[in-house]
Amino acid sequence: MARNQLLNITIWTALLAPVVYIGVMIVRIQNGEWDLLGPEPGRAVTQFLGTWALNSLLLTLTLSPLKRSPLSINLISYRRRMGLFAFTYMLLHLLAYMTMMLGWQWQDLNDEVVKRPYMVVGVFALLLTIPLAITSTRNWQRRLGRRWKKLHYSVYLVAALSMVHILLQVRSSWTEFVVYSSVLSLLLIERLLNRQKTA
Amino acid sequence: NAVAQAKESAYKLDDPVAPYSAVTSYNNFYEFGYDKDDPARLAGRMKTDPWSVTVEGECDVTGTFNLEDILKGIMLEERIYRLRCVEAWSMVIPWIGFPLKDLVGRFRPRSTAKYIEFITLADKKQMPGVASVFSTIDWPYREGLRMDEAMHPLTLMAVGLYGEVLPNQNGAPLRLVVPWKYGFKSIKSIVGIRFTEQQPHTTWNQIAPHEYGFYANVNPEVDHPRWSQARERVLPGNLFSPRRVDTRMFNGYDEVAPLYKGMDLKVNY
Repeated sequence: MARNQLLNITIWTALLAPVVYIGVMIVRIQNGEWDLLGPEPGRAVTQFLGTWALNSLLLTLTLSPLKRSPLSINLISYRRRMGLFAFTYMLLHLLAYMTMMLGWQWQDLNDEVVKRPYMVVGVFALLLTIPLAITSTRNWQRRLGRRWKKLHYSVYLVAALSMVHILLQVRSSWTEFVVYSSVLSLLLIERLLNRQKTA
Repeated sequence: NAVAQAKESAYKLDDPVAPYSAVTSYNNFYEFGYDKDDPARLAGRMKTDPWSVTVEGECDVTGTFNLEDILKGIMLEERIYRLRCVEAWSMVIPWIGFPLKDLVGRFRPRSTAKYIEFITLADKKQMPGVASVFSTIDWPYREGLRMDEAMHPLTLMAVGLYGEVLPNQNGAPLRLVVPWKYGFKSIKSIVGIRFTEQQPHTTWNQIAPHEYGFYANVNPEVDHPRWSQARERVLPGNLFSPRRVDTRMFNGYDEVAPLYKGMDLKVNY
């Protein structure tokens, strides 16, 4: 039990740390340390949450190759929880954008969201994760049976759309896009190879 | 020094100036990296003294000049300008500088000089961004103005801000400030000036011509393809009440409108 509990605590801490960190930052900024995250703190918070949405999504997709790897580390039982974290970070990312960058000014919604392909792609990716988040309970898993797995394959679409979301924002450096899309590509290639092996 | 003795000028704004720390910590200076805080962290290693500027092209006085020689006898003044970044944020900054036209006159441009091109230092040894392989930029960074834009009294050459010598991240020792254009036109750390007959190639225009035009006048009616230019975030911002205000034509500097009489600014963006 000790080992399991330790693992539990470690994983929860790792996934919660970013949101706790940014929460502390927000409180400190509100309490007068206005330039803690630079002169555009809303943008910094939004980007931070977006980065962690992507990190936790890719981390979720790493669990099955990790189990198959020579190390055979089995963390599959954490996968749904990790996915929920990814969903939460995506939600917070959009929420931060709407609050801290747009200030909920609805007249800007058309100008800044509807007309912008990178925003449309991002919002679409988030919408796709809602059914996945809802059906992430064991109960739903039982109820949907085989269809559950099929439904949850759409996580790959979410990941691909997230790549498009950052690709469309590239201005002067490819680094972020190259790093993230390489990681995702590796994860997908491993799955293809594994499929061929088991087929 | 001369910067500290700069005279006040008539160029002021009612808006409060951005704090020094905001102006000097949030910079786009891709020669030092792509994050806004990279220049403040890394630009310190740039050597700005001695500094020389090469002048060439359609003018009578050409050559490579020491900065002190170029600036000898030039009167410095303080001007408070709004800087509107193409990324839809803005800051109010108290610059120390002098009208570009005072400098241009010294090189005696010929009648064939229709444009003026500026070049930023590009030194891999001092600038990690220039050394990076992931960059979309073809160094050195270049910008340009039409001659009448360069000679407009608003067009400033800056050597300082807040009564101090320019910090490196803000484009030391010599940078352009064109307040009615998006910030990327206001080229930093200038090492080259060239008078040309043809419109010069400019960096952002070359990278993405459908996103960044040669003129790059602040214009709320012409959106960047990926975001609206109708409004801007005034920095420094608050977390829960971002200061979003309407962007004004020519960034509020209406006096430059005659420069573009008869031009379709939706085409010449």
